[in-house]
Amino acid sequence: AGQDVGRSCILVSIGGKNIMLDCGMHMGYNDDRRFPDFSYITQNGRLTDYLDCVIISHFHLDHCGALPYMSEMVGYDGPIYMTHPTKAICPILLEDFRKITVDKKGETNFFTSQMIKDCMKKVVPLNLHQTVQVDDELEIKAYYAGHVLGAAMVQIKVGSESVVYTGDYNMTPDRHLGAAWIDKCRPDILITESTYATTIRDSKRCRERDFLKKVHETIERGGKVLIPVFALGRAQELCILLETFWERMNLKAPIYFSTGLTEKANHYYKLFITWTNQKIRKTFVQRNMFEFKHIKAFDRSYADNPGPMVVFATPGMLHAGQSLQIFKKWAGNEKNMVIMPGYCVQGTVGHKILNGQKKLEMEGRATLEVKLQVEYMSFSAHADAKGIMQLIRMAEPHNILLVHGEAKKMAFLKDKIEQEFNISCYMPANGETTTVTTNPSVPVDISLNLLKREMALGGPLPDPKRPRTMHGTLIMKDNSLRLVSPEQALKELGLSEHQLRFTCRVHLQDPHSDTDTLSRIYSHLKSVLKGYAVQHLPDSTVMVESIVLKVSSSAEEPDLKVVLLSWCFQ
Amino acid sequence: MDSECLSLLPSVCEVLADSKLLPPDDTSLEKLLDWFKDLTSQDDGQSLLQHQPCLLQFLYSVMESEVVDPIIFSFSLKLAGLLAAEESGFCLLQEKGVLVSMFVPDGWHVLGLWKNASVRCGWLQGLWNMLQHPPAMDFFCRNGIITLVLNLQNDESLFITSLTNQILAHILNCSMPRVLGNDTDSTAEGQALVSSDWVSVTTEIMSHMSRSLASEDQAVILPGLRLLAIVLTQCGDPLKRLLWKHVLEPLEVLAIRKGDSLTPPMMAVLQAAARTPLYIQPECRVEALMNVMLYSRNTNESVLCAASILLLEKCSEVLKSRATDVILLPVLCITGTQQHFHESDVLSGHDLLLDLLAQRASCISLLTQSLSSIAELICKKKSLDSVSIRLIGSAVISLLRICIGHYPSTILQVGNFPHLIGCCKIQRCGLDVLGSLTVYEESMDLIQEAFAIILQYMQSPDSHATVLKKAHQAALKWFSICSPSTDLWRFVSNDLFSVLKKHVCDGRWEVRDSTLEFIAQLTSALKGNSEYTEALHTNGMISVLFTALSDVEAYVQASAVAALGEALTTTNLPLCTSLQEEIVSHLLTVLAQDAESFPRRAALKVFTSWLKIPQTFAALDQSLSSVFSLGGNDCDWEVKIHTLELADVLMEKSLSHCPYAVQGYEPSERCTEQALNKLMDLGTLGLLFKCLFDCDRPVSQKACALLLKLRAFMKQTSGTDGNDLALEICRYNWGEEILHRYCSKRPEQSDCVSNDDEVSYEQIDIVKCDPCWPKEISLCKILDVLDLDEMQHTLSLSSDHVINSPRSLMEDILFVAHQSEDNVVDCY
Repeated sequence: AGQDVGRSCILVSIGGKNIMLDCGMHMGYNDDRRFPDFSYITQNGRLTDYLDCVIISHFHLDHCGALPYMSEMVGYDGPIYMTHPTKAICPILLEDFRKITVDKKGETNFFTSQMIKDCMKKVVPLNLHQTVQVDDELEIKAYYAGHVLGAAMVQIKVGSESVVYTGDYNMTPDRHLGAAWIDKCRPDILITESTYATTIRDSKRCRERDFLKKVHETIERGGKVLIPVFALGRAQELCILLETFWERMNLKAPIYFSTGLTEKANHYYKLFITWTNQKIRKTFVQRNMFEFKHIKAFDRSYADNPGPMVVFATPGMLHAGQSLQIFKKWAGNEKNMVIMPGYCVQGTVGHKILNGQKKLEMEGRATLEVKLQVEYMSFSAHADAKGIMQLIRMAEPHNILLVHGEAKKMAFLKDKIEQEFNISCYMPANGETTTVTTNPSVPVDISLNLLKREMALGGPLPDPKRPRTMHGTLIMKDNSLRLVSPEQALKELGLSEHQLRFTCRVHLQDPHSDTDTLSRIYSHLKSVLKGYAVQHLPDSTVMVESIVLKVSSSAEEPDLKVVLLSWCFQ
Repeated sequence: MDSECLSLLPSVCEVLADSKLLPPDDTSLEKLLDWFKDLTSQDDGQSLLQHQPCLLQFLYSVMESEVVDPIIFSFSLKLAGLLAAEESGFCLLQEKGVLVSMFVPDGWHVLGLWKNASVRCGWLQGLWNMLQHPPAMDFFCRNGIITLVLNLQNDESLFITSLTNQILAHILNCSMPRVLGNDTDSTAEGQALVSSDWVSVTTEIMSHMSRSLASEDQAVILPGLRLLAIVLTQCGDPLKRLLWKHVLEPLEVLAIRKGDSLTPPMMAVLQAAARTPLYIQPECRVEALMNVMLYSRNTNESVLCAASILLLEKCSEVLKSRATDVILLPVLCITGTQQHFHESDVLSGHDLLLDLLAQRASCISLLTQSLSSIAELICKKKSLDSVSIRLIGSAVISLLRICIGHYPSTILQVGNFPHLIGCCKIQRCGLDVLGSLTVYEESMDLIQEAFAIILQYMQSPDSHATVLKKAHQAALKWFSICSPSTDLWRFVSNDLFSVLKKHVCDGRWEVRDSTLEFIAQLTSALKGNSEYTEALHTNGMISVLFTALSDVEAYVQASAVAALGEALTTTNLPLCTSLQEEIVSHLLTVLAQDAESFPRRAALKVFTSWLKIPQTFAALDQSLSSVFSLGGNDCDWEVKIHTLELADVLMEKSLSHCPYAVQGYEPSERCTEQALNKLMDLGTLGLLFKCLFDCDRPVSQKACALLLKLRAFMKQTSGTDGNDLALEICRYNWGEEILHRYCSKRPEQSDCVSNDDEVSYEQIDIVKCDPCWPKEISLCKILDVLDLDEMQHTLSLSSDHVINSPRSLMEDILFVAHQSEDNVVDCY
């Protein structure tokens, strides 16, 4: 996600712990490049030894698509954390994607259903706002992120250092989810997505009105509407939108959703009703918003039925499967419409039609004429520039790291953040390492004696708001740190005190006797070091404070005097 | 296809060079480079440049532009390198001044582009692509590029540092044979290329390496060590010897340096050195360095060093024995069995080790490291000669007991390690080692203790789901080596099954599923063992499995289906028909009612495995028609594939001498006819034709393969009565497609179809009502007109091969360039 949208996989090293945040895949490649190259982390493949845990922010494949590959094919046996809804929905999307990939390419070198299941067995579910102790030092806490059901931001803490990773989030509530929220946790680094770094999104109501108008017009003229979606996620938001509209307008045209998925979606939205927004939770008892009256399960044969209809079909990028089959059937009729509610990567039919291609080459040199209307209406739920700034204000981080966005837009937002908050903002590219130095505060107990002594010397009373320097001996024992007086330390540790003396010898040429030379040195020092205690002692030494001077010479060279200086630091 | 792409290339180059247009995303550009790579590997760069002048034009315009997008600039560097990968292309680009402008560090580097990681990466990739021949090496050495490359060794991007090391190793590898004068190419031309520039570049790299290794800064040492490891792995012996002399001194200093995390890269260097002739030269001191590393590090890192040493192919016995001791010491200390050690240097840090083990975090980290290293060594079948397997096994079992809170009374130190109780990490690693020990014959002595501790873990209500799974895996390994005995079956019946029954009802789906998987695997492993089968059937396990079929989790249901299937497949007991019927009826219900697909797939697999065994399952035989009907109409293509696999087994069994055929079966004309009629009646043939036109490619591919098999069989037995089998295809909904193809191939059969035009589906409707049209068509004719070979070829291609073709990519690039920005970047 470094200066790049999608394929999120971030490695954080904090307080000696290594945490992987998300393990996404690149939807644009069909080869090895679709998964992160884990050999950059460790050559011997023992990821379990290196990583303390993996945290998945939400179930979108660009955040979790490489997880079974990593855990089952590369080999990772450690804990994987995600919220309960993500744990439930993630395997559905992975399975759907696996089926499409294998169906499309007949690939064998891809993770299997068994691997998805085995991977999910390693997952430890997270509850919101509950601090989970990964080990003695590392703790994590999840916060609500909006975006899709179960999406979470996560705070990672080791000692006094902390990082917050937002994953994808939305700061405005929508029809079925609430807005993201976080404590004023003041992390050392806030790693935030920046998809809409420079965008202030137009009113959602307008977009919804526009969407409904287009669907309605198509239905009215007897056309069919295809809405390619990923199995779960934004699709449910659109379903609620259409269901309400159908109800209000008393429309009769059928709405279909890919077989099996409606039931699944219903099941999970009911199960995790606490993760939806307040309105849905309140009305749940009278009417479950996810039990749709107008939306029915789709069967392949319905695509040929005459008359208008709306179909939600997977996959969302029209690259294979049911949505592509329906598209091929309906593309030739100008009365029909396809609404793309999200991004499509290169190498998909979705990408082509969004870029205005009207003739698509199909297998066997056949050409598909795209006569139906193509509409792009982004319903992706990311925070816009305003939302990102709002989150920064909420969390009050010391540093910001931008991910999951475009380089140019990130650079603009980075300037804005640095100006407005006066904190450092980083935007590393893929593969780049950003190092942030922190000043961790390490709690230390101070002995009462030492404090009393400080106070006796006239020092102020201890005040947490006014830090000051204290001197003493630091004892690190049994996982505790204590500052005590040197005497106490000696006593406690059963050690005896040693004194260090430093000496040096200075050579002088002087024809006088040793005693005369010493007297001359004494007189000189006495004249230049006024205010210091300079003494000539009877044992032929001179003392300046604690520094001792002695003069000696040898019989062979009586004129060469050796002046010995000796002192200790006190 | 390439000619079509080449016709689009000028427009693509124009679009890419136009800084006013939106650049395509980096994925598209990477894929375009893939295509160029293919092209240049087929043809040389010069011919491509000559035939496509737009490429040179593109490179010029990028160089001259002052507002070029970094993505495009990076792409152009990689492209230039690719085009210069062959000498002829290189010479042309050199002549045109492109290479100097792009790769020599005086031109564009002053622009802000160098700050961009993708540009630095592109520059390196371009160099890497280009440095494939002596003129390119000469260009590199003469133009002082080496300084810039060496600087990139400490780049912030790990992609760049890794690529830099690869390039530096490549340069040394290419230049050293010539510099050292032992190149096989001793022609005058070859030697003439060995200019002083080459010598100075190699000298500079080697000096840089020794400077890096002598640095105080870990960030500088690390890439130096990585480069050294690459060179020792990839380069020739003379270079290794020369280089080793340069670096030995700083390596000796690094080996005793403490307090940093250079142990893994240092060991990678020593491992690489140990695989070269340097190892046996005493003056190279490779083993001495390993020895120093083993004892100069902190305990955790010493274990790492020891594991690396033990993975070496050749290693002195003394060093190996020391390394083994270092690895085992933490486990043996915890369990109070360290008396094994005699060497004072191993035990010298014993008190320190006990201190570390007394602290939770360091203890867990140390034991995890130690246990995973032991497991890895055992898996790689490295012998741990100096220590008896029994000792390791006992220690691991004791450790597992401590971790579950069952202290063996003999262990005095146990009170010091309460933090190990309930530690999942150690439990998992310990169970891994316990399971892996079964590769040694000596482990047989531990069998009772092993099963006892595994059972304790299974019985413990505190065992985490992941720990239970490891316990299952370990149990399977121990079952695989033990010989059947009354005690064993008593253990299975009384202890194991009772705990498994509880686990099948556990609140965690992970536990329920792993348990059912374990039952299936165990049943399969003990295939044909009558005591086991009896225990399985008499202990209420079957009814537990039946209950699990109604689990709320689809994964669990599927595992229950598989376990039940296995229980019946492997049984030798004369099962009562009613049980067979009950199971088949349950599985048919699963097939008809399940909405999650995993149980349906599992049910089909079970039917297939039953059909493969020699015994007859009367209940299944009666239900095959329903199975084909349900499976063939399933909405999950994998269920259809499994249905086709079942059809495959049935066909094999019915039509030929197959391994599953009943003994004494002799095919005859009558048999063939009967078999084909049976297949027809059971709906097998209908299934194959229906699936042939399925919209999911793997389904049609599998059906096509089966029909080809059938066609081959029909040809083999031509002339027999079976060939007269005729199908009334109008009765079936798949018949229309066959009729369409049949009419297209044989228009003379009906007046309603003309010879000239393509047959439409409307005409097919008329044909159906044509009284002259034969109501039945023979199977052979149908198989003939279907053109199965052509279909098989088409189906073997990826379904997105057109959309993902280079031409399609180029069209996308052209279309994207003219789009508004809003549509381009978004995300789910």
